Amino acid sequence: MATRHLIIGGGTAGINAIRTLREEESERSEITLVSAEKPYSRMVLPYYLDRSIAESHVYTATARVLADWGVKAHLGRRAAALDVKGNVCTLEDGTKVEYDDCLIATGSSPVKAPVPGADGRAVHSFWTLDEAQAVVAELTPGSHVVMVGAGFIAFTILNSILALGAKLTIVEVAPRILPRMIDDTGARLVEAWLKKHGVAIRTGVKLTKIADVKGRKQLKFASGADIVCDLVIMATGITTNLDWLKGSGVRVNHGVVVDDRQRSSVPNVYAAGDIAEGRDRVTGEPAVHAIEPTAQEHGRVAGANMAGKDVRYRGSLLINIVEVCHLDVASFGAWDDATAETATGLKADRPAYRKLLWRGDRLTGAIILGPSQDIWTTNDVGMLKGLVQSGVSLARWKAHLKKNPFDVKNAFIASKTTHTLLPETILGRPSKAPGDTPVAV
Amino acid sequence: MSVLKIYPEKCTGCLRCELACSYMQTGEFQPAKSVIRVSPFEGHTSYAPYTCTQCAEGWCMTACPVGAITIGAVGAKDVLDDTCVGCKLCTIACPYGTMFYDPDTRKAFKCNLCGGAPACAEACPTAAITYEDVATADWLGDFARERTARVLVGVS
Repeated sequence: MATRHLIIGGGTAGINAIRTLREEESERSEITLVSAEKPYSRMVLPYYLDRSIAESHVYTATARVLADWGVKAHLGRRAAALDVKGNVCTLEDGTKVEYDDCLIATGSSPVKAPVPGADGRAVHSFWTLDEAQAVVAELTPGSHVVMVGAGFIAFTILNSILALGAKLTIVEVAPRILPRMIDDTGARLVEAWLKKHGVAIRTGVKLTKIADVKGRKQLKFASGADIVCDLVIMATGITTNLDWLKGSGVRVNHGVVVDDRQRSSVPNVYAAGDIAEGRDRVTGEPAVHAIEPTAQEHGRVAGANMAGKDVRYRGSLLINIVEVCHLDVASFGAWDDATAETATGLKADRPAYRKLLWRGDRLTGAIILGPSQDIWTTNDVGMLKGLVQSGVSLARWKAHLKKNPFDVKNAFIASKTTHTLLPETILGRPSKAPGDTPVAV
Repeated sequence: MSVLKIYPEKCTGCLRCELACSYMQTGEFQPAKSVIRVSPFEGHTSYAPYTCTQCAEGWCMTACPVGAITIGAVGAKDVLDDTCVGCKLCTIACPYGTMFYDPDTRKAFKCNLCGGAPACAEACPTAAITYEDVATADWLGDFARERTARVLVGVS
């Protein structure tokens, strides 16, 4: 069994792998962590931005915690090359780390729109803690913020920007907002909702240049009027951090191709999180799911297998939720499957929308929008996830749901979805609480 | 561990469990903040209380990016308010629909078995909710299947 584990990347996937290694191993092993940043959670950066939490709250594994777990950490250093024949990882500063097995969990990085001025002052991505700190320092009440890109990442910080008393304009090159999270109908509803809440939105506009004018930022577009603002946040997508693996011999497609144990084409090299291309649970096809829950599950499955257990993963489920101005927006599974059977429901008198997608009598995808104070909305959010995750046969409920797409609860309960779901665990055993990771003795 | 066992055929739909739950959890009688919820069946002629099963995976707990959901003394998954940031990830990770979000406190909340003395079970006048040392199970599935069979007649 491997006694020297190397974890490359200290994000959600890497930290979950370390915890699981310590939980599952039968003998104490050596664990080395290489991470360009101190381990923290990107998920909570929006709450750091709006000052509802302190910076200390974002860290997932402090130096003290890593020491408790018996992890040797190289923080602030990046992996530069992987020699899979010699079982050695070389860091950017030339340090060589030998391993018996390793986990590639180097995640993804933001991509800025390739326009002049994109690297200038007061133009930031919002991905890393450093970038969040820059935005926190520059965003003041009354400032005008322009968000370039109307995707999930942008929308996670929308509430925070408004809560800080800033004026917000969103510009998006696609004809509509949230193009990779919800469908056209849902997007129209969210757009109308945001405009009602004072957010300016311009879709279908191509940014061509960002200039400095009298201490402010001027955005120019291929068509339409310029926008002058104080701060630009670029949320124009992310790219997988694969470059450093070139020539390593590890098989790469859209991400590092992994099997159901999170193992790459090299048997003692695993991959997890944004960088891994594993099975999509619903479609059965290989996919990169650059989302937090996938990183967590990938990381735990990899950690268990690295600890010598045989844990097979059923595949990741695409799930996203964002709340904007007290409107919940969530989607699950194959929500954009153009060939699926669909049923939709839209309430004329409140911002409530459902879309259900079917393959046979199984729900394979769903979109749900509703006011976050609607007490039943959250029940349905979880139940839709459960229906897609479990793939229970809905039999005659399918016809009922196609006529009544809001009536999810009876269908969920009567189809015995709970019965199907209860035996399922990721690691084949009950999960341990976050504080229960075995510490070094 | 002991869990909430539901005998749905005994439920009268009186909603005392929701009142008791919200009072215990928040100090106010506000069913909107109850984490046990009475579902109607057959056009409000049958009812059954639905709440967290305290499942083995703890999808809410493993999904939390800041470790804000833990396992309390009686074995229930419980939200640590000081740690929860309100990101809602747990609400989409829980496949049972029993993770909730409170817009007033901006925190997630769920059934924590009231620390071992569940208010809903105590309040239930017909013993449709009991707190027993049994393995958790799908208490409502068979009941709901039978009670909804007629709804689906004619649906094809």
